[in-house]
Amino acid sequence: MRTLILISMLMAPSMALAHASEQGFVLLLPTDVYITAGVACVALTVVLLVLTPARLAKGIFHPIPLLPRPQLPLHHLSSCAAALLLAILVWIGFTGSRDPLVNPLPLFIWTVWWVGLVSLQGLLGNLWRWINPWTGPAALLSRLTGLRAPYRYPRFLGFAPAIVIFLAFAILLLADPAPADPARLALFAGGYWYATLLGLVLFGPRWLIRAEALTILMRTYARVSLLGRKGPGLALGLSGWKIIARPRVPLGLAIFILILLGTGSFDGLNETFWWFGQLGLNPLEFPGRSAVVTQTILGLIAANTLLIAAFCLSIWLGLRISHADMSLTQAFCLFAPSILPIAFGYHVAHYLTSFMVDSQYALKAVNDPLNTGANLLGLGQFYVTTGFFNTPGTVRTIWLTQAGAVVIGHVIAILLAHALALHAFGTRRRAALSQAPLALFMVFYTFFGLWLLASPRGL
Amino acid sequence: MTNATTRRGALKTLAAGATAASLPLWARYTNAQTAAPIKIGFQVHRTGIGAAYGRWYGRTTEAAVKLINEGGGINGRMVEIVAEDDGTDPKRGAEVVEKFATQHNCDVGFGTLFSHVVIGSSPRAGELKLPYFVVSEGHHVASGMLNRYTLQPGITDVKSQVQAMAPYVAENLGKKVTMIFPDFAFGHDHRDFFTAAIEAQGGEVLEHIAIPPSETSFTKYFPKIPRETEVLYHVMVGPAVLTFVKELGEFFGPQRPEMFGFIDSLEAVDISSPGLEYLEGTYFWEGNPRNAQADQSEHDKFYRAAVGVDDNGASISDPTDVSTYAHMFGCWETLHVIKAGMEAAGYQGPDDRTALIEAVEAMSDMPHSQAHPQGAKIFNGKTHQVFGHQYISRVEGGKLIKVHTTSIEDTLYPDEVDYTTQAF
Repeated sequence: MRTLILISMLMAPSMALAHASEQGFVLLLPTDVYITAGVACVALTVVLLVLTPARLAKGIFHPIPLLPRPQLPLHHLSSCAAALLLAILVWIGFTGSRDPLVNPLPLFIWTVWWVGLVSLQGLLGNLWRWINPWTGPAALLSRLTGLRAPYRYPRFLGFAPAIVIFLAFAILLLADPAPADPARLALFAGGYWYATLLGLVLFGPRWLIRAEALTILMRTYARVSLLGRKGPGLALGLSGWKIIARPRVPLGLAIFILILLGTGSFDGLNETFWWFGQLGLNPLEFPGRSAVVTQTILGLIAANTLLIAAFCLSIWLGLRISHADMSLTQAFCLFAPSILPIAFGYHVAHYLTSFMVDSQYALKAVNDPLNTGANLLGLGQFYVTTGFFNTPGTVRTIWLTQAGAVVIGHVIAILLAHALALHAFGTRRRAALSQAPLALFMVFYTFFGLWLLASPRGL
Repeated sequence: MTNATTRRGALKTLAAGATAASLPLWARYTNAQTAAPIKIGFQVHRTGIGAAYGRWYGRTTEAAVKLINEGGGINGRMVEIVAEDDGTDPKRGAEVVEKFATQHNCDVGFGTLFSHVVIGSSPRAGELKLPYFVVSEGHHVASGMLNRYTLQPGITDVKSQVQAMAPYVAENLGKKVTMIFPDFAFGHDHRDFFTAAIEAQGGEVLEHIAIPPSETSFTKYFPKIPRETEVLYHVMVGPAVLTFVKELGEFFGPQRPEMFGFIDSLEAVDISSPGLEYLEGTYFWEGNPRNAQADQSEHDKFYRAAVGVDDNGASISDPTDVSTYAHMFGCWETLHVIKAGMEAAGYQGPDDRTALIEAVEAMSDMPHSQAHPQGAKIFNGKTHQVFGHQYISRVEGGKLIKVHTTSIEDTLYPDEVDYTTQAF
């Protein structure tokens, strides 16, 4: 019977209504010119850096001290509030509308948090300290029971649980057939919150910074934010200044950072006509995510493996040609954070368009959280629009904004890698030599990132 | 209303309607709210390749349900929409149908657009004995491929649409046609149905040019268009459509043959967009004219206002947000058919599902009305497919101006199935 249905599906007359709008206008843009300009911009940064005096190259990452940091011990309180909000959202996920664009839970997780808050975290600073839903409840539990964590976090595990959890998260995001289904997401979100709280209770706060992938992700992106702590005060600097201040990361975290970039890139790649071609699928008649679960998981793993291999190769080549006295692992841990601005820039670029649409649904959900016809924000009959995908002018602005995020991410990455090399190797010549292959890699990656934005997509 | 089941049924409906209408609004509500709502499972493409359509299908559905509820609901009960995202994914589609039947206790399933999702979901609806009202335009319902529980009473199918174009094309645009279509099932439907239909009109297709679906540049295919071509029939879809139009313009310049296309190519795209100037003076099939026409009916006017669409077919809140006007009326009309069917069947609950299907099967004439703003229709109870007028519009000054309305007879073809002979 199943085969019969399958055969009839293959032979069925069908319709394809994949819309032309935004993608159509992108294909009409002179994206090849834009891509060339973007790549040239990054390549030029490399050339200029070679000519820039070491002091200047390092100096651009000096932060400017701002105000003294307010010492408000309210983060436990706000964390408890975040946990309460999450609990309410999970409850609505189970009981509210089944429509993922009406139910506030998927909108909050995938639009407000994964796109909005992650972007703010990478731009502004460690907001997660205030809004994570665990530290407050854990402190409260420990205060109420007077108990301390009975176990020590096993050292040998390092960041391995975080890597595994992040990959599981990526599989949910990219390969799962229904990541926005409110009830399923409520199960995942509620279950994960509980499991993490258990980890915290059993192993103490170390669980959060070694095993809890989302906290590590947020803290990692906070490293490229403009604002941060310096001494007793708050300081503002060029994205990456915090990485210069505390350069080398543990090996597990270095791998985690590369997986952030690899996963982000694959998230773009798996929507392109090119990827559909590799899978032998017609992009205009995509059979749905459930038909490609295995392929997507394999692709995700392959993309990350390939990226780590290419990055290692660039580092290794750099060490060879500069005759540097540094092991590959040391260099890997030193330079891995330099690709964070790339991962972050791509995150912003990739999700910009979906955010422009889904944030409107999120606003509607805030206006009427229980789908009862409430009008809390006074929006009234609010129609979600995608009109900005329908005119060439707005599409060009959106595309160039996305491309700008990608190019700026790469330029900062190049500056950062160079500054890290100057710190590590001393002279400008050796720093430049050691960076040449990595710089080449980043120039190529600029092209790749911009190509992803310009490619026709099947989703 | 639209129902022509039996005189008694019709009278009952009328009487119920009259009673409901004579009550003050609050009384209708109190009466309706004491009963459990009628639950309609809405299988919506919220994510995946159908999402752009899903948004407008959702908006139309919301407007229709609001209207129905304001009018007292169905059989005195409010209508509740249970929307589930199918991800434009056939496997999930089947799961969603199962949820409607077993988890949400929906009375019926409704609203599916993409054919592969319909084909993937319909067998499950049949197994679970859930009436499944699709809004898909596919020929799969009338072809006999599905089952007695699957009906398409609110939108015409592609076979009838395509064949109804041939008389006008042959008579007004030319008899020597070259077809350009994407090389997969959607394009093949057009190829097969139109080739047969134009031959029946004494015309011929000189050349079938099939374009690989992932193609994004078309210039190399244009030299295959024979010189003696009088009409170019195009149904390109996907992100490269605008490139297709642009390159076609660069290839032909002002010396082009007549051009005829299906609006599917440019659904939700502003026809007056820069880059689409070349379409000026060309012809399109429209399921429902996007631009309000000079002879706009009061029903279209009412429907537009209810959905929040302006005279150019765009959202009233954003004139650049062009709707999927040629298709989305199907949701509105289907919901009104469900209402009429339930009223005729005296529908009380899931036990009356077969009675509902029989009531819909018994329908035939559906007059042009507020419930059927796209135009009059004839429902074929045997094939579970509705037939209706089709529109041909010409692009004039960046607007789609209706130049021809087909008769319903132009859209008919011999039955390919009789679902009424199948057991429930």
